[in-house]
Amino acid sequence: MTIFLQSLLSGVLIGGVYALIGVGLTIIFGVMRIINFAHGELVMLGMYAAYFLFTLGHVDPFVSIVFVFPLLFLFGAVLQKTVINRVLNALPQNQILLTIGIGLILSNTMMLLFTSDYRIISTSYSSASFQVGQISVSAPLLVSFVITAAVTAVLYWFLLKTDTGQAIRATAQDRDAAQLMGVNVRRMSVLATGLGAGLAAVAGALISPTYYIFPQVGQPFTLKAFVIVVLGGMGSVMGATVGGVLIGATESLAGAYISSGLKDLVVYVLFLLILLFKPAGLFGKSRV
Amino acid sequence: MKRLFPLLVAALLVAPSSTLAQIKIGVINSMTGPQAPIGENLSNGIKLAEEDLAAKGIKVQLIWEDDTGKPQVGLSAMDKLATRDNVAGVVGAYTSAVTNAVAKKAEQYKVPLVNPVASKEEITRQGYKYVFRVSATTGDYAAILLDLATTLGKPKSIAILSENTDFGVSGAKSARAYAEKKGIKVVFEEAYSPGSPDYRSTLVKVKGASPDLMFMVSYVADAITLMRQSRELQLTPMAFLGAGAGFSTAEFASEKNISHGVFSSTQWTPDVSWPGSKAFGERYQKRFGKVPTYHAANAYTAMLILGETAAKAGGDREKITAGLRAGSWDGLFGPVKFEDFDGYTNQNKHQMLVEQVQDGKYFTVWPPALASAKPLWPFPGWK
Repeated sequence: MTIFLQSLLSGVLIGGVYALIGVGLTIIFGVMRIINFAHGELVMLGMYAAYFLFTLGHVDPFVSIVFVFPLLFLFGAVLQKTVINRVLNALPQNQILLTIGIGLILSNTMMLLFTSDYRIISTSYSSASFQVGQISVSAPLLVSFVITAAVTAVLYWFLLKTDTGQAIRATAQDRDAAQLMGVNVRRMSVLATGLGAGLAAVAGALISPTYYIFPQVGQPFTLKAFVIVVLGGMGSVMGATVGGVLIGATESLAGAYISSGLKDLVVYVLFLLILLFKPAGLFGKSRV
Repeated sequence: MKRLFPLLVAALLVAPSSTLAQIKIGVINSMTGPQAPIGENLSNGIKLAEEDLAAKGIKVQLIWEDDTGKPQVGLSAMDKLATRDNVAGVVGAYTSAVTNAVAKKAEQYKVPLVNPVASKEEITRQGYKYVFRVSATTGDYAAILLDLATTLGKPKSIAILSENTDFGVSGAKSARAYAEKKGIKVVFEEAYSPGSPDYRSTLVKVKGASPDLMFMVSYVADAITLMRQSRELQLTPMAFLGAGAGFSTAEFASEKNISHGVFSSTQWTPDVSWPGSKAFGERYQKRFGKVPTYHAANAYTAMLILGETAAKAGGDREKITAGLRAGSWDGLFGPVKFEDFDGYTNQNKHQMLVEQVQDGKYFTVWPPALASAKPLWPFPGWK
């Protein structure tokens, strides 16, 4: 029982961070119908930003998100305006090539600038924990989960209650109709990419105290985010949130009860099963 | 062209004396990709060897190939080196997976391959004539640690945790075999996929098995993640044993609150009493601004041996192979000789060492004859 609860807890906590990455990807996809294959690299940039803020500016990684989010928001927005915007109406394969290319350029640029050395953020709490009954709760993971929850709450409020948020959702639902209703869809695309990049970077900053940082660290996150988004339903923010937590918990439980070497297998089998019975994903609406 | 022809012929005739000074040697290494941080140690070690060869009047032309940590990339690098560049010999690769693939090719092309650090046992157990290994094997990694553990204490059980790569699986297999031979019960064994941010579910199971020893085989940064999460879960065996790689890097040692008291088997340390070790460590640090890992010394030695032998043999592949088989060397890596024993071919019997992190610094603690500090036993507890 301890093993079950322990694994479930750490799985859900780390799933929160996965969810944040997935939400960023799903917003970008929702608004522009482009799958951002450079998403993991944005996570990586967030990690590096947190690293340098920590080592040079002595900013705590959890506090650093206050700087990391706007920084990467800006980066995402500029990226959209200068590069991604040009392929909005291009063939899907061109869009894929473009975002993969951006990802490669980002990771290789970081490698040129900072070498492929592993960077490690050592905080006083990097391996701290406290006991709740038989279960030990990782302090940094818990804090990052709380922040993730807060960020997600703010995001929901923004998307549901503000005019800009509603405009973003309108664009995601039907780009042409939104444009006819007077929504500035170009601006929404820029905003959405900025938002997606910012969220990915926040996720990166949040896991940086317990993980390690190197230029290629992003690639597995791209794949994970993609699975989360498809699982939850492409473009569904709710779906990505649930999907992230689900994947985190599944990984962890599979690691505990089957084998940690096979946990990816379990995740993908689950993924296939859900797609088999609910092709549009958990919260997706099938489009014709 | 016609006028040039006699000149060319003349040049070719003169060539033998000058080829002695210009020998092409290929290097296959993980220069980019996830293994790059350790790959860098190999590259730097090879660069220092190149300088020392030049100082002895042996000019080698190195042809660098990056395998990015992938066997298929390593294979095409070997194709290129053997056929297009026509190298006299090759030093490489870093990881066991790549090296195992490359070794097969080297044998096909009859190109002498001197392998610096890959330790999967099978690499030199396939009767290859052209494959030489300076490095110790994964069996040695486990054996030296368990020798230390059984001498210092009376451990009854062991948990084995390894990554699911060639190096990891091979290391775990040898550890199990050796532990059983020593009468230590294996109470937990699992291979994990590397690079995950969360190993807690696995470590909880280890805690449930409450082993006396915890043996881990991990590359670079997973070692830090594993130890951090072991601390979170308050895992306290008699000793944490790491099989080199991720457990013998400067980054790992500098994480004092998780590295203190951890043992790691290693092939070389800057403070070991082999001739020239200390000087090599200082020279490396001065030149590259980092403390070298054992990989640097392994690669340095491999390159030096191949360079010298190739120069003596005038770049002829068959003569180099014969030279490698016949020769013996001694230097900062201890005595090196390629021998056939226990099913191995052209394998160096290397004396493994155990180092322990004590307050953020590595000390050689085993075997006693080569040690620079006393081992801390048992695990002093989390700081």
